[in-house]
Amino acid sequence: MTNEIAVSVRGLGLTYTTAIDRRPTLKGRVKSLGRGGKQTRVIHALDDINLDVEYGQVLGVIGANGAGKSSLMRVIAGIIPPTQGRIEVFGSVSTLLALGVGFNPSMSGRANVVLGGLAAGMTRDQIEDHFQEIADFSELGDAIDAPMRTYSSGMFSRLAFSVAATVRPDILIVDEALSAGDAKFKEKSLNRIKELRSDDRALILVSHAMATLREMCNDIAWLHKGKLVQRGEPNATIDAYQEFLKVGKSAAIDEDV
Amino acid sequence: MSAPTQVYEPFRAGLPPLSRYVKSLWGRRAFISEFSKSELHEQHFDSVFGQLWLILNPLLLSGVYFLLIVIIRGSSDSTRYAHLTASLFLFYLISNSLVGGVKSITAGQRLILNTSFPRIMLPVSAVIIAIFKFLPTMVVFLVIKAILGLPFTWEMLWAIPVFMIAILLALGLAVTISCINVYFRDIASFLPYLTRTLLYLSPILYEASALKPNLRAFEVFNPLFPLLESWSLSLVHGQAPHASSLLAGLAWAIGIFLIGTYFFLSREREFAVRL
Repeated sequence: MTNEIAVSVRGLGLTYTTAIDRRPTLKGRVKSLGRGGKQTRVIHALDDINLDVEYGQVLGVIGANGAGKSSLMRVIAGIIPPTQGRIEVFGSVSTLLALGVGFNPSMSGRANVVLGGLAAGMTRDQIEDHFQEIADFSELGDAIDAPMRTYSSGMFSRLAFSVAATVRPDILIVDEALSAGDAKFKEKSLNRIKELRSDDRALILVSHAMATLREMCNDIAWLHKGKLVQRGEPNATIDAYQEFLKVGKSAAIDEDV
Repeated sequence: MSAPTQVYEPFRAGLPPLSRYVKSLWGRRAFISEFSKSELHEQHFDSVFGQLWLILNPLLLSGVYFLLIVIIRGSSDSTRYAHLTASLFLFYLISNSLVGGVKSITAGQRLILNTSFPRIMLPVSAVIIAIFKFLPTMVVFLVIKAILGLPFTWEMLWAIPVFMIAILLALGLAVTISCINVYFRDIASFLPYLTRTLLYLSPILYEASALKPNLRAFEVFNPLFPLLESWSLSLVHGQAPHASSLLAGLAWAIGIFLIGTYFFLSREREFAVRL
């Protein structure tokens, strides 16, 4: 594979300070003035990560909870600035880190397609052109004109996924967002992701669904405690990871998409 | 190979490249308008009764305050009522921007954590919402003024630059308070006291000219004072506002806007890990 580079990550480190309180308040700050209690905590999320993603690649990112997978995705997407290193992105990036970002539950599904599409960086014209496609894919029928707060959670995620899957970026980052709806819709959305694989696009998938990753990816990166442990051929890397977890190919990790 | 379209490197305290920031904010204008519209819809202000409430609320308030003035002073006139309504309407533009802006960042958590966009968009859209709530009240004021038989003059057009300054001030305040609220979430609970204090310190229940000189000296610390004074002079009394008040209001607005925006922009890249 000698394609063009899509994302280049060099010596990436991420350390950030976050508030210990979920809701830091002025009152709490004033009360703890005399006692000098700590208000913030430093988190070392990523450490010296080097990673290249080429066009045509489908990179799966695996690792235990807290390995830094989501942090890495957010840094590549430009949501969190890195503390060290440099990230170069060659092309437009779209993130599917969570479903239904920018949606407003009091609006109709139709209005939310526009809202979610605009939030994802589409233009009004693009959304209009693809509206029918989105509506058909979500299988909502007439419910598209009802307020979204009347939707079941399955309907919500179906519409959210449909909007997200319509964005056609050069680089798509998907973070465990594939578990939308029932088994049938899951398969449908998986197929949509497969359709998005092409030589002029790079996909980065974060997932715990090893079976899916084995099937979809042509490259795997394994993160552990903020470090890149292994990078390479899917089956070998996933085997090593599962060996590491000492759970083997149990159903527990293969089960959910 | 072509140059990278995006480079992310560690940032030091300070501003992001401003021209690119403004460009990307402008590129998001469709989203800003749609986002504001959906917020208005959520608060039901796109329906007939929602708009009616928008007008009724300050009208009832001005009625209550008018009653208060009549009781305390023993007398009042129609100019006083027009002054009260006009001033309250402009005050509500500022106070709605503050109230809408304070939680704009913390409420936009999902957006901030999952997409990359100029964060200032959120308080800006709070001000846009406040402007949309303000516009229908202006129509009401003009009707009231016509009914009361107060003069319509060319000098009333001075209200337009005053309105522009008010928007700049509202933007500055909304941006500042939304940023502070990320670090101190209880600012939102202090806000009603702040707006209530501003309401009484500003020339709304009284005319700016009626204030004793020794009290007036303290009003240089109130950013709303010169603004509301000019507003009432032009819109209610149909006179050109004092240049000194206009300039003082402009200086306050620019100052708060610049300081607030600097504060916000140098902090906004940290919001994602602070929410």
